[in-house]
Amino acid sequence: MILTKTGEDLHLLKIAFREFYFNQGNMVEEPSKIQNREFGLMGFDGVMKRHLMFSSLGGLVASLIFETPSDVFASNAQYDFPTLPISEKGWRGAELIFDIDLKDLDMKCIRSHSYASCLSCSSSYVSGSQESCPKCGSNNIAESMLPCDRCVSGLKNEVLKLHRFLTSDIGIRPEMIGTYFSGNNGFHVHVLDESFNDLDSRARADLAAYILGVGILADAIGVTKDTRNDFRIRFPIGGLDHGWRKRISDRLGISVSSQKRLSNLIKDLGGLEQFRRRVAEITRDMGVRIDSQVTTDVHRVFRLPGTLNGKSGLTKILCTDLNSFDPFDESCQLSNREVTVRVTIPKLKLRLKGERFNLNEEFVRVPMFLGVYLISKGLAHAVRLDPGTGRFIVPASTP
Amino acid sequence: MNIRLGNADLARYPFLNEAAEYMSQTYFNLDDLNLPELRHIVERASNRIRNEIIHGKPDYSLERHEVEILTFLVGILIIKAINSDNLTKKHCLCEALRAEKFLVHDLKMQGELANKKLLVFKVFKELLKMDILPSLKYQLMFEVKVTDYLKRSHLFHEQEWKLINRLVHDGRVFLDPDETVRLIRSELANLLFERIGQMNPSHIPTTIREQANILRSILPVAPRRLDHAPSAYPPCINHALDQMAAGENLPHSARVMLATYMLAIGKNIEEIVSLFENAPDYNERISRYQVEHLAGERGSHVRYLVPSCAKLRNDGLCFATSQCEGLINPVQFGRAVKSYSKKVSV
Repeated sequence: MILTKTGEDLHLLKIAFREFYFNQGNMVEEPSKIQNREFGLMGFDGVMKRHLMFSSLGGLVASLIFETPSDVFASNAQYDFPTLPISEKGWRGAELIFDIDLKDLDMKCIRSHSYASCLSCSSSYVSGSQESCPKCGSNNIAESMLPCDRCVSGLKNEVLKLHRFLTSDIGIRPEMIGTYFSGNNGFHVHVLDESFNDLDSRARADLAAYILGVGILADAIGVTKDTRNDFRIRFPIGGLDHGWRKRISDRLGISVSSQKRLSNLIKDLGGLEQFRRRVAEITRDMGVRIDSQVTTDVHRVFRLPGTLNGKSGLTKILCTDLNSFDPFDESCQLSNREVTVRVTIPKLKLRLKGERFNLNEEFVRVPMFLGVYLISKGLAHAVRLDPGTGRFIVPASTP
Repeated sequence: MNIRLGNADLARYPFLNEAAEYMSQTYFNLDDLNLPELRHIVERASNRIRNEIIHGKPDYSLERHEVEILTFLVGILIIKAINSDNLTKKHCLCEALRAEKFLVHDLKMQGELANKKLLVFKVFKELLKMDILPSLKYQLMFEVKVTDYLKRSHLFHEQEWKLINRLVHDGRVFLDPDETVRLIRSELANLLFERIGQMNPSHIPTTIREQANILRSILPVAPRRLDHAPSAYPPCINHALDQMAAGENLPHSARVMLATYMLAIGKNIEEIVSLFENAPDYNERISRYQVEHLAGERGSHVRYLVPSCAKLRNDGLCFATSQCEGLINPVQFGRAVKSYSKKVSV
């Protein structure tokens, strides 16, 4: 989503971002074997520069201060030659990373805090209330969202579910899992256990399908097709004690000692086909809503921990204690100095950096972190005071 | 793991380093193969390869270790002398299938002979860098690391090999002896193929060269493609044909795709069966039965349809290009190309 920003917006964002990298450059996390990573820097014009290489963290931070990108990415892969085109880089393995994004969670509350910004007249309104801009009638609309506490709680539940899969099923020790708030609408879960690094994308796709709960066969819990009696039950040698077999049997209320019960259940559902569908529903419901494309891509660049997210001005940050983690507080690292913005949505309530804000006026003085958040979300524009007239100068949108 | 191998073990697993060590201790010389005393070994190896060419089946017979180790070695020398990539692949697959049978047998050993399993663990560890452990919880089940499993299981397109359909716990996948060994079949074959490629004998003895010449004369001619312009085939079919031409061991699902597609575009059973001639495990009788089954001439008398593009994508058999846009089944590709050519010619 590219939201139209004015020159004044871009100026303010760049000041805020440069200030952050200048004062808090120590927050930027150095990836292991930094010299073997491909970096990507996205400018505020939306243009991404890829195939970059930095041999030290100091060099990277200096570049961030100098270039002030809106987003900073580093490859999960390590390469012999990170600056060459993909086919010539010499792939040497890639960290296993999972992405959990709010868009995949079907949260019911989302419509109530999603906003549409008109790219023609710069006005904003609650998304879904109108098809086209109520002010100018334009259909040139961009959507943005301010996640609420319920959204964060939903995301955390998914992350905890993923942790359980990774530790109990896949056998990854908890200290080898790094969970990061992405800085906008999701979490990135990094597996630090290097034995997963050399898995190719097909192997990762199989692992992603396991975690998503896709592709289950009823045979896995011992129910197979029988030409005479529709189905036949023979529990697998390993029983139903672990992994998906346990999850499904717990949900169905069956065990290896309740063959009759399972048989009745299949008959009650209407036969083998219906039972298969039921099992697939259970796995889809109990699986984790990860973005499988992210997990299977072994040449992707990911937002670098400790850098700012250009869609919000919040930082991608490590969550040491997920339960108590508050993304609206801990990841909000920009300064408190005041800036003036014109809010394009009437009556906006939100919480950021431990403060509650009730924005009822069109022109408001707000802390930098809030100003950047609203501008990044397309819900406000930066304005400045004309020293001659004492009036606010509202710049026109840049194309 | 320090395991002492008996001679009988070397007979079953002649590709292990210990077998090579045994040979070096016997002061064996390549020219010894020209001696009449070793004539039966050369013929045995030659017959084994002949059987592989004609029937596509491995030889499971087991002689004493001296015979087996030498037969294995002579077999490789003959293959090397014939110098055909397709035959080398076929031979390696047969050797892997042969080893697979013994590995499964050893893994199933119980009681006093249970220490045979240690030998299998050695094969897995030394050759394939893969740990397997007997399960303490489930009798006759083995545990492999999830990562080791994932690296190999994606070679199988059957849904039952997907991780979700396995018993997984604490970083381990539980497999029965057949599944454990099946997991590494193609890897073992590839390993043997690599080894043969790296092997550089000082010279080929005359008897070996003679046998190689005889066997070369019964090799099937290079597989022919059907009389269809390659561009008329969708990329998934072209890919499968290329794989087949290279002597690769196509998975069952790819063979079903190929056969059903050829049936759908009106090719006859003969033509389709001949397509599979180059498969390392080719068996004319079985191939014919399966193609006839897919054509609805056998079994349930149901004619099988070409799998959909979605199914092929799921099975990793799709190699879509821009020409595939909007198609939901590979059979539409030919029609799309035909209608396009018609338009162009008008």
